[in-house]
Amino acid sequence: MSKKSRERVLKQAQASFHYETPNPESVLKEKLPKKQFKMNQMDAYLYDKIFETEPIGFFRDAWLRFRANRASLIALIIISLVVVLAIIGPMIRPYTFRTQHTEFGVLPPRIQGLEKLGICDGTLVYNLQKSELEDYGDSVVKILDEYIWVYRGREIEMVTVKINMYIRRGAQDHYFWFGTDNIGRDMFVRVWRGARISLLIGLVSVIINCFIGVVYGSISGYYGGKVDMIMQRITDTLGAIPFLVISILFIMVLGAGIQSFILVLILVNWIPMSRMIRAQFYRYKDYEYVMASRIMGAKDRKLIFRHILPNAIGPIITQATLAIPGAIFAESFLSYLGLGIQAPEPSIGVLLAEGQKVLTSSPHLTLFPAMIVSILMLAFNIFGNGLRDAFDPRLRGTEQ
Amino acid sequence: MAITLFIIVSICFFLIRLIPGAVAGEGALPEIRIALEKRYHLDQPLWNQYLIFLKNFFSFEFGESISLYARTPVFDVIRTKIPLTLQLNIYALLLTLPLGMSFGVIAGLKKNSLTDHIISLMVIFFISVPSFVFASLLQYIFAFKLGFFPFLLNLKPGWSLDKFSSMILPILALSFGGIATITRYLRSELFEALNSEYMLLSKAKGLTQVQSTVRHAIRNSFIPLCNVVVPMFTNLLGGSLVVENIFGIPGMGSLIAQSLGASDYYLTIATLFFYSIIGLTSILLIDLSYGLIDPRIRMGGGKVRE
Repeated sequence: MSKKSRERVLKQAQASFHYETPNPESVLKEKLPKKQFKMNQMDAYLYDKIFETEPIGFFRDAWLRFRANRASLIALIIISLVVVLAIIGPMIRPYTFRTQHTEFGVLPPRIQGLEKLGICDGTLVYNLQKSELEDYGDSVVKILDEYIWVYRGREIEMVTVKINMYIRRGAQDHYFWFGTDNIGRDMFVRVWRGARISLLIGLVSVIINCFIGVVYGSISGYYGGKVDMIMQRITDTLGAIPFLVISILFIMVLGAGIQSFILVLILVNWIPMSRMIRAQFYRYKDYEYVMASRIMGAKDRKLIFRHILPNAIGPIITQATLAIPGAIFAESFLSYLGLGIQAPEPSIGVLLAEGQKVLTSSPHLTLFPAMIVSILMLAFNIFGNGLRDAFDPRLRGTEQ
Repeated sequence: MAITLFIIVSICFFLIRLIPGAVAGEGALPEIRIALEKRYHLDQPLWNQYLIFLKNFFSFEFGESISLYARTPVFDVIRTKIPLTLQLNIYALLLTLPLGMSFGVIAGLKKNSLTDHIISLMVIFFISVPSFVFASLLQYIFAFKLGFFPFLLNLKPGWSLDKFSSMILPILALSFGGIATITRYLRSELFEALNSEYMLLSKAKGLTQVQSTVRHAIRNSFIPLCNVVVPMFTNLLGGSLVVENIFGIPGMGSLIAQSLGASDYYLTIATLFFYSIIGLTSILLIDLSYGLIDPRIRMGGGKVRE
């Protein structure tokens, strides 16, 4: 209810204390004279008309409402962009995720075009002794500051200089867009390959979770009664085990790898999914249309998959979308604890954990994976919220 | 709860037996291996091992740390680590609760205003950005670039200003996620409460907007909050895992990470056991607190009994 209509109702309610209701019998007595009666549609032929408006399906309707929400539309575009980059990103550079250039370790980012603007131009700022400056030769781009440092009574002439690391290391021909790590692997390729693996883990685990959740939740919700009670006790007991405990234990045994990550995420996340689907089944199974179908002889399987599940598809998609950032977060979290994927293969969490160790000396190693995981999670959360609003049956048809 | 705990312990036992060379290393000398096997009852049948394991676990004898703190009982190691973690988490919670509540109430009362939009934007930002990214960012900007706070936690015993200022960053990193969660939850609850029938009734009875909001809407919207706050405490313990690693805090979280790195299985499992107990206790607390706080559930419970 809007604020205005609420105030109106309130005023009516307050006014009704003083309002005198007319005697109902007096209203009935005021009859119209017969002459004034006139049939309205005497001459018209009345028959059912075909709808002139276009029918709108469930998904089309949701899409129309989703499109109206700017923020989630932008989030969708960002997600698609990240996915596309995660697929083609590693291919557009001449390096692979395991090509090592040991002589070019820990180079800062350098990007064609942007380097002329002074951003990502492969330079670092150093504090050096003035006498050392000659060693650096061409690579000195600019002297920012000169000062005197008193060290054990001696005065040392110091300079703050901007040094082009690419010239210093003899890597003028190379453009490492996101810089390199300590053994000279291109971070751009590694970050996107990591994003690909993180996304893959998230997506696969969520899809399998959906499947398990649909089977478990629909059986539990549809049949109800004793079956439901036993199944719910099982999920309650399993659901009480903290995520951290079960994931650490399983990864300890299975060894870190994509498969064990997916398995752990399935073990943990199928429970909320099945609970949500059970709730949906509880809601729909007593509807009249289900009863009508049952009276006409539909089997349980048909009722579950043909009549109830399609109605629950909106919340399922929403929950699945919101579960993906959770899975990505869990993956990076576990990688961060040193339970990450094995060495040459990167994932966002592994990259972050590696970067954290050298945060102060080479922040670019943390910056790019952190940015991508944050953007990805932000986009998925906003996108999921938009989907929830779009699929919400209570909001259907409220906007024109 | 007891069943869940039992299941966790059993899983722990069987998983630890699945790890090859968990106790005696693969390349250990035969005499050492036999001695170790005797010490850890590995020479007995699996069923007996399981019983001994259970008996030890429920009498809080978790064995000894193997590599990290050699020959120290695991229980003692954990006991020295808990206070620091608990201290940090309680401070974080003390910061989180009032801030989250006030932001939530402000956003809920002024829904769809500019303030609400700003708060909502912050909420979705802090929920989405992972805590470790946020912690690294804080550390890099405030400790390294600006130098406002120390880089790592000051571990001097007792109290000093230095120690307090070194605790600010970890506390901030721990509490932002919680603030965002509480704000989001309270905002929607309060909005729903403001639009409910009893608000209309209370206003029709002559209460002013402020009176009815404070006495009815806000009070009612606080009830479901315990559903969020209690598990948040356990989540904080989990979240502090990463934050502790970043800021070099020798608490429970870094203990887990270290024990994993050093393959110190007894230590890991005992720590995980503690986490499970905390988690299960919090679930129990939620169930109990619901009945205490919400009169509707108390009455509902009474009806069933009749």
